[in-house]
Amino acid sequence: MNRAINLKIDPLQRRKDRFVRSLVRSTQTVLAELEGHPDLPQSMGYFINIMRDVFVDGREERLFPSTGLQSANHKKVVGTYCMMVPEELIYAAGAIPVRLCGGSHEASSIGDELVPRDTCPVVKASVGFTSLDLISIYRVCDAVIVPTTCDAKRKMGEELSKFTEVWMLEVPHIKDNEGARRQWLEHILALKKALEELTGKKIGRKALQTSIRMIANAQYEARRLYEIRKSAVPVIMGREAMLALNAYSFDTAFEWTKAMARLNDELELRRDKGRIVVGGNAPRVLIAGCAPIFPNWKLPSLIEEMGAVIVADESCMGSRYFYDPVGVAEKTMRNMMAGIAARYLMPCVCPSFTPNEDRLYRLLQMVEAFKVGGVIYHVLKGCVVYDFELTRVEIIMKERNIPLLRVETDYSPEDIEQLRTRIEAFVEMLGSKKKG
Amino acid sequence: MEYYAGIDAGSTYVKLVIATHEAFLGQKVAPTGIDCCTTARKLFGELRDELGLLPTDIRRITSTGYSRRLIDIADETVTEIRAHAVGASWTGPENTKVGTIIDIGGQDSKVIIIDEQGETINFAMNDKCAAGTGRFLEVISRVLELDIDDFGPLSLKAMSPCRINSLCAVFAESEVISLLARQTDRADIIAGIHESLAKRISGMARRVSLEPGVLLTGGVALNPGFVSALEDELRMDIFVAKTPQFNGAIGAAIIAGNSNEGQR
Repeated sequence: MNRAINLKIDPLQRRKDRFVRSLVRSTQTVLAELEGHPDLPQSMGYFINIMRDVFVDGREERLFPSTGLQSANHKKVVGTYCMMVPEELIYAAGAIPVRLCGGSHEASSIGDELVPRDTCPVVKASVGFTSLDLISIYRVCDAVIVPTTCDAKRKMGEELSKFTEVWMLEVPHIKDNEGARRQWLEHILALKKALEELTGKKIGRKALQTSIRMIANAQYEARRLYEIRKSAVPVIMGREAMLALNAYSFDTAFEWTKAMARLNDELELRRDKGRIVVGGNAPRVLIAGCAPIFPNWKLPSLIEEMGAVIVADESCMGSRYFYDPVGVAEKTMRNMMAGIAARYLMPCVCPSFTPNEDRLYRLLQMVEAFKVGGVIYHVLKGCVVYDFELTRVEIIMKERNIPLLRVETDYSPEDIEQLRTRIEAFVEMLGSKKKG
Repeated sequence: MEYYAGIDAGSTYVKLVIATHEAFLGQKVAPTGIDCCTTARKLFGELRDELGLLPTDIRRITSTGYSRRLIDIADETVTEIRAHAVGASWTGPENTKVGTIIDIGGQDSKVIIIDEQGETINFAMNDKCAAGTGRFLEVISRVLELDIDDFGPLSLKAMSPCRINSLCAVFAESEVISLLARQTDRADIIAGIHESLAKRISGMARRVSLEPGVLLTGGVALNPGFVSALEDELRMDIFVAKTPQFNGAIGAAIIAGNSNEGQR
């Protein structure tokens, strides 16, 4: 009887249903854990709800409520697959950018069947999500932009193009020469043209100026959050701060900035009142390397469960995404475009660039500014470029007597127990070093 | 007299020691079984009876090892890394400072670098693959129909050790089976297996920059054939810990003794 009923339903549909069920379940678990923390700042609710709307609820009408996405002549949505896509241009063309780099274990196991085994889980999850055509945030995109950073992202574009409209954005890999910079500016100008064609709206000087200012404001609030996290006694858990920053991917810069300002106000009040979330003795950890992308909250949760606090991250979903605003000398179109091109190329210290000495300086700066006691170096399986730079980072940290733990993992939960032991021992070691 | 207990609830065996501040009095070991908690309780009762102690004589119990959190009779838990680092101060050689501890367990293996005070400065773990662990030897012993205790003496008689090329325990097993089919001497096979295990461990040890004064712990340390293979591979002398299987439990007992938190 049951068998007969089951056969009537398309097997692909059953597979999709199962996928959605497990994505919802694992996202709920992560969110429930975050919400269970008694010291969760009230203003975090906004960011948690964004994640719930995207991964749990998943209905299109829940996305970008302020932008009238559902109206007849709604705005175009442009997906981006890296922090190197100038979002200013997308806004100025009257579209909305969303950052699509995937962080879901379920999506990554779907992607497993579509890309080579040694590909990183970010690409696997991104291809997995896109291929299923289930999650609204991926479905609403009219085009996606894939910068040619590392090998996996470069080839990912071809896979994605089976399912959606893909624009490749060529990124030079050596920054320190005039030719590369000129070439990059050419590509950015071409992207501007493509966006204008997509939306049918010419990017004007005023609009560009406004969107540059809007993103600068978002960056200002993000930097404010980092400033607060420098304080000697932590007022927010790192896993919460990182989630708030991650939520930028799925929100408009304008709305997100308002919510971030509220969070910062709340945290500053906490700091001034001396309300703390963990003891001043908790080891202070910096996450370096591959970005934790929601809902893969495995590493941030484990580190803080073991009694440390993440005070900073050096990743393309966090500090690197938000640190440098576009610098514009004169508000001419030419000048603004040059400013945008420069901002998205020069300060980016993704290890897909070579040479990449600046990343080491940046890491040392962060270790000092955030009074970091230990570094956890996150390597997602298959991300060769980050692993390559590990030795250099190890050396500079050793010189400064900062312990470093390399954690190689992917999105699957199977190695959690082993990671727990390793991270616990590392945190234990940092704790006894602090006392000694 | 104040007594303390350390329990190392590993993946394969549960180890227990009872100690005072000065010395350790006795030890016991049993296979972990399906319920490590009951195993630990049983061992604890037996050892206490043997030493003629009352339950109230034990001031504090610390547990470590893979299942440390499941041991309900323990007052606190510490990671294996810390327990081994502390244990080395008792099980290490008399006149030489221990700089590195290599522990080969049933399910993982670790290299721990310690400073003069016995504090951990760096560590590396292999916890994803059976090839660098005691389990590897167990698997091979089954294929060779030999007791694991005979491995050491037999391998030292090897004339020309085989090269085992596979880095995976499962593939190495089939490699051994084909060597047997070619009627290779078992001594040569075991020597080759020891070499392959030693290569794995030394690769991991080099990554964390080995400090001189290497102490080997874990049951595998009782296998002289493996010890000499590892010495060849690392090109340095290795000290075998006193009662190597109990190093983690001893460390846990010392930590229990040093803890100034609330007593039982």
